[in-house]
Amino acid sequence: MIDRASVVVVGGGIVGSAIAFNLLKMGMKNVCVIERSYVSSGSTGRCAGGIRQQWSSSMNVKLAMRSVKLFEQFEKEVGMNIEYYQGGYLLLAYTDSESDDFVKNVKMQKSQGLDVDILTKHEIKEKFPFINVEGVKLGSWCKSDGHANPQIANIAYAIAIRKMGGEFITHTTVTGIDVQNGQIVGVQTDNGYIHTNTVIDAAGFESPKIGEMVGITIPVYGERHQILVTEAVNHFLDPLVINFNHNYYVRQTRHGSLIMGQGDVNPAPGEDIGNTIEFLEEMSEKMVRDFPIIKNVHIVRQWSGAYDMSPDAQPIIDESKSVSRFIYATGFSGHGFMLAPAVGEAVAEMIIYGRTVTTDISNLKMDRFAIGIEREHNVV
Amino acid sequence: MKEYDAIVIGGGPAGMSAASVLGDHVKTLILDENDALGGQLVKQTHKFFGDHAHYASKRGFEIAKELTDEIYKKPVDISTASTVIGIYPQNTVAYVKDGREELVRYKKLLIATGAMERQLPFINSDLPGVYGAGAIQTLMNQYGIFPGKRFLIIGSGNIGLILAYQLAQTGAEVRMIVEALDKVGGYEVHANKVKRLGIPILLKHTIVKAMGDESVQGVVIAEVDDKFGVIPGTEKEIVVDTICVSVGLIPLTELAEQAKCKIEYIPELGGYVPVRDERMHTTNSDVFVAGDLSSIEEATTAIIEGKLAAMQIVKDLTKTDLGKEISDELKTLDIFRSGPKSFKIRKGLEKMGIKVPEIEVPKLFQTPIENAKSKLHAVIECTEEIPCNSCESSCKFDAIKVGENINTPPIFDPSKCTGCAVCVTACPGLAIFMEKLDESPNATIGIPYEFLPLPKFNEKMWGMDKEGNYVCDLTVKRVVKNPNKTNIVYVELPKEFVDDVRHVRYPKKESPFVCRCEEVTLDQIEKIIDSGITDFEEIKRMTRITMGPCGGKNCKMITLGIISRKTGIPISKLSHGTSRPPVKPTEFSAFLRGDEK
Repeated sequence: MIDRASVVVVGGGIVGSAIAFNLLKMGMKNVCVIERSYVSSGSTGRCAGGIRQQWSSSMNVKLAMRSVKLFEQFEKEVGMNIEYYQGGYLLLAYTDSESDDFVKNVKMQKSQGLDVDILTKHEIKEKFPFINVEGVKLGSWCKSDGHANPQIANIAYAIAIRKMGGEFITHTTVTGIDVQNGQIVGVQTDNGYIHTNTVIDAAGFESPKIGEMVGITIPVYGERHQILVTEAVNHFLDPLVINFNHNYYVRQTRHGSLIMGQGDVNPAPGEDIGNTIEFLEEMSEKMVRDFPIIKNVHIVRQWSGAYDMSPDAQPIIDESKSVSRFIYATGFSGHGFMLAPAVGEAVAEMIIYGRTVTTDISNLKMDRFAIGIEREHNVV
Repeated sequence: MKEYDAIVIGGGPAGMSAASVLGDHVKTLILDENDALGGQLVKQTHKFFGDHAHYASKRGFEIAKELTDEIYKKPVDISTASTVIGIYPQNTVAYVKDGREELVRYKKLLIATGAMERQLPFINSDLPGVYGAGAIQTLMNQYGIFPGKRFLIIGSGNIGLILAYQLAQTGAEVRMIVEALDKVGGYEVHANKVKRLGIPILLKHTIVKAMGDESVQGVVIAEVDDKFGVIPGTEKEIVVDTICVSVGLIPLTELAEQAKCKIEYIPELGGYVPVRDERMHTTNSDVFVAGDLSSIEEATTAIIEGKLAAMQIVKDLTKTDLGKEISDELKTLDIFRSGPKSFKIRKGLEKMGIKVPEIEVPKLFQTPIENAKSKLHAVIECTEEIPCNSCESSCKFDAIKVGENINTPPIFDPSKCTGCAVCVTACPGLAIFMEKLDESPNATIGIPYEFLPLPKFNEKMWGMDKEGNYVCDLTVKRVVKNPNKTNIVYVELPKEFVDDVRHVRYPKKESPFVCRCEEVTLDQIEKIIDSGITDFEEIKRMTRITMGPCGGKNCKMITLGIISRKTGIPISKLSHGTSRPPVKPTEFSAFLRGDEK
């Protein structure tokens, strides 16, 4: 293992990987990623892989639109086909207040340049005849949204990082960070010591533990979300469908399997990545009701992963005020994968140029919690 | 007109064994329509089950030769290329030889005309490329002609299974065997021989039609319900150029009928069969029957029946006292028919008034002796109760016990095994393997091998499992050639796979599927490992291996083996993923509550 690095990224998930990849791309040398297990072992490898731009705050829309640009170039830039598919996102509204929100959001999203539309119940039925639209008021539809295989994307970054001369160290745990006079001097791991003056905390729901190592409180906690996958069936489902009212999302992978999940009513903490039978029962009930076509499709596997929840369900990306060059990119609240390419670019710019250049992410700073927060609504 | 004490019609196993006995005592003629004696035996290249007194471990064509040689030493008139065309009054047999009619008279007649292949009605069954299994064996094993390249076999009785194996030996591709019943018809060991070559046996399936204009170009198969009706919507097209129908045999009873023997319909025995007593005597006091004509069974029972009929004829004609010999043969027949696979024959014979005692097959239990594992020893995988004790007879060291009832599955005592492997070459079912498992990370196994070319020392081959799936790469360490053509290939392989590998084959040009659910090949996995990804979990995510509906039941260990081989890390040190529910794929509908279920 190397003993010196210009930057140590703690956490080899999609966010940490994207940051390291962009640092290397911008010319930085001696970039090191430390992953405690295998690549894609954490939340990234457990997530559904949706990539959407339909958000309720304009800055999130912009960041997501930048991310989609980068996903479109991913294969060329990072070097691997990650099953990226722009089949769109369909959001379904069932109540008047939901409908009002959708209309308002679409107006704002359009003003940001996003090609997004409100679909009537009839249009939804016409476009997606296999969906049971009973009770649907309207839908919000963005055809450039889509999905990809997050596990392969994560591994693709790791391979690219190694190819570009970076270090991607797996099965290694960070055990401490040494700080002297407000400056970082090195990172302790269970496999040796790395001298560095820059640390990026991209440890997902475990990021508060890394923060503690330098005396910083990061208001993030893990929340377990369950998910399941079916056998592969012929392609029928273009969009990823989100149903906030019935509390689920579903997408069909390029491989043919259906991946779907919900937010549990009383979610377990993120450390508990177990499974419940109730999840299968609840999902079956509503999925067969809304998608009768899948009644006899076989569920092949269920698993769970942790959302790194922040107080407003939006990412926290900032540099510590007390420890110089301790940067954290966390609190993605279940949307880290889709934002990662743009976040990776923005954080790399912060480190190299001292500020973001391509996308403004000033709304994601830590001090917003002191001012008072507006929660992101569009979350499953 | 020439007159004989005894005339035997049919030179197959029953007729030959009868003529051999008759020749010692009375003036005998044997007639056969083929150019040489031997009947169906001449095209059987597989080893026969049974005991050593009845040609066990010998191949069919070898048995034919032995029986033929024996007859030619005796004062028996032999007339081959002689087609019997009828049985006429005054005990007259009419046959045609060299284009001329010949007539002969008998005092006693033994009809051993055997059986013909049953046909199966399906659409386009008249297309060139549709054959009976026996016809293919004749073309292939007697004349060296291959009727096709890609085969579908209908019927999983012993004949279908043996044919599939023989076709594979020639290098032909057997796409599958379809079987309408819910279990394999033939012996388990025969089925295992075929399965480990990668030939699937599709149960509860039948042929719907053959496809093609001038000749067979494909076939439509479908699943059947309990009444053998095709389940609509389950039809599948398979590309083959030859269809082998192997759905059973029909006794050839015409001559027996003409000889005024009473014929009855007893489906358990094969359909219409001549009524006879336990000594093969029909309702006509001068006429006997033996072999498949009297009941569709194995060649071994046909040989015994032939002998039995002959002894009775000798006794009737000469008053020689053969009482003891006859009762010995009767006892042997009873034992051959006492196993569970013969229940239909027992039932059929009972309808005819012949009681076959159902002899309880003793259940023997062996206590495994662990310390014997470190030396080279036999591993016997024969659990079905079939009449055969060739392993017991072959073992000079008393390590294998079958006992008096040869239907008893063998019991093996590893402490007495010297590792000589004679049993491996003797076993007709190729169900005995050699194994050595000591402290070293590699194990040695010896595999019976009946393919050409024979592997050579240090050659790299693929180890295949009981279903014919790729398990691991292995190295040939020793090849023992045997005169009986069941050679033994000793290979070295990682010890984790010692219980899995049951066949070796030369690596194919195309990479083998490691995971059949997701169609992941060995090549794909090796390429990923070569690119620097060596963690099982990462390989899984890159290839989808173990992510299919079976949950990695087959491919997980194989993948770990590949990783271990490429990285040098022992399997025990590798991470192996997490098992997630549901263990078996489950429909959404299973979780629905309420009325809509």
